[in-house]
Amino acid sequence: MGRNKKKFELSSRLVFSLLIMVSVGLIVVSYLFSDIFSPVKSFMGDFFVPMQKGIAIIGGAISDKIQIFEDKQKLIEENEKLTNELNDLKLERQTLISEKYELSWYRDIYENDTVYQTAQKVVAKIISRNPNGACDVFLVDKGADDGIEVNMNVLANGGLVGLVTETGKNWSKVRTIIADESAVSGRFRITSDTCIVKGSLKTMDMGYIDVEMINLNAEVYDNYEVVTSYISDKYLPGILIGYVSNIRNDASELNKRAYLSPVVDFEHLEAVIILKAQRESLEGIE
Amino acid sequence: MIFKSIVILIEIIISYLLQTSVFTGLRLADVVPDVFIILISSLGYIAGPNFAAVTGFVCGLILDLTFGGLVGVFALIYTVIGFVCGFSNRIYDHEDYTLPLFIIGLSELAYNILYYLLFYVLKGNLDFAYFSIRYLLPRVIYTVLVSVVLYRLLNFNYNIFEKIDRHKKDKSEEVIDFKGFDFIGRRGL
Repeated sequence: MGRNKKKFELSSRLVFSLLIMVSVGLIVVSYLFSDIFSPVKSFMGDFFVPMQKGIAIIGGAISDKIQIFEDKQKLIEENEKLTNELNDLKLERQTLISEKYELSWYRDIYENDTVYQTAQKVVAKIISRNPNGACDVFLVDKGADDGIEVNMNVLANGGLVGLVTETGKNWSKVRTIIADESAVSGRFRITSDTCIVKGSLKTMDMGYIDVEMINLNAEVYDNYEVVTSYISDKYLPGILIGYVSNIRNDASELNKRAYLSPVVDFEHLEAVIILKAQRESLEGIE
Repeated sequence: MIFKSIVILIEIIISYLLQTSVFTGLRLADVVPDVFIILISSLGYIAGPNFAAVTGFVCGLILDLTFGGLVGVFALIYTVIGFVCGFSNRIYDHEDYTLPLFIIGLSELAYNILYYLLFYVLKGNLDFAYFSIRYLLPRVIYTVLVSVVLYRLLNFNYNIFEKIDRHKKDKSEEVIDFKGFDFIGRRGL
């Protein structure tokens, strides 16, 4: 019995050290040659995506069923609330129509802003999110077969969601602008002052991310629109990112910084739009 | 042995789907329970360090290849946790349902600390208070809650296949002993 135990421990240590060596080796290899695992990665995607799609469909069906059982009373209340809202919105619509003329005037000035509206779009469903619960990375159900390429822009609710960072046969990975490693070069739509929109999951819990490097002399105020700028090499120009608030001087007193509330609700995203136009090809058109 | 490995592979795939697709729709306090940790720690407690370390390695590799940047980081974390949990196999009791919860909670804590060191400290983000309140505590609590159900399933499952395996072994033991396959048989996973 004693002999058996000793042997068992020895072999388990051997297995353990082998596994550790393999994983350290993998880290080193993937650090040195970053593309070497992409075929394996795309195979893994192809393997899991059909199952995840199935779960997404079943989950959607179940939540639809639950929705039906909602109280009648609740619906009546909601109806009342919505009627009020409708009246408000009718009023708002009037102001928006007048603003639309203003907008078209701005578009004439910035011709490029309309480019992303003419680009071909693909609607993709989100099939899985980052297993750590944060909203920084997710997978969608459209991939290279649907013409998706790396660095294509991803939109939802008329605002910027992020960027495609990897694609497989029928899936692609999207990194959002609120991820810690994201930094988008932005521009105030009205004054054309540039800025950097830095992602941060921590502050996103409170509903905003940081805008940095605003010129000290820029005349910007709360609720100004920030859109993607011309100088970005990955993002198409003129896509709405969000609205600024709490503008203040930097600690260095050389720049201003502000909070930005994104227009996209990252917590409850279900589907996104992928623009089938890339920054490079745009330069060719011009 | 092969039969058991296939069952565990299926369990790994189900865990991955649970974690990335099912539980992301059932988030509490904005966190997802760590189904992989539940699987690895439970296997460590039920089946010993070898099974747990290999399972951890495979789980980590799957995460690395689907969500990670550098391949091998999650594999490393999960292998270490699986191996360490495997030592609790010496006090395994198939009717004890409280000790494994404690082990799973501790593993989740260890996993989060390793995750913090590798993904936050290396990026220069040193705010441990924020990390522990926002991610660490809710995840440990949610994981232990989910493991109350999942551990029973895993334990039940494993014991059934263990019985089947043992039954087969008993039948063919004489032949194996005679041909001297015993040594190889013991050296496997």
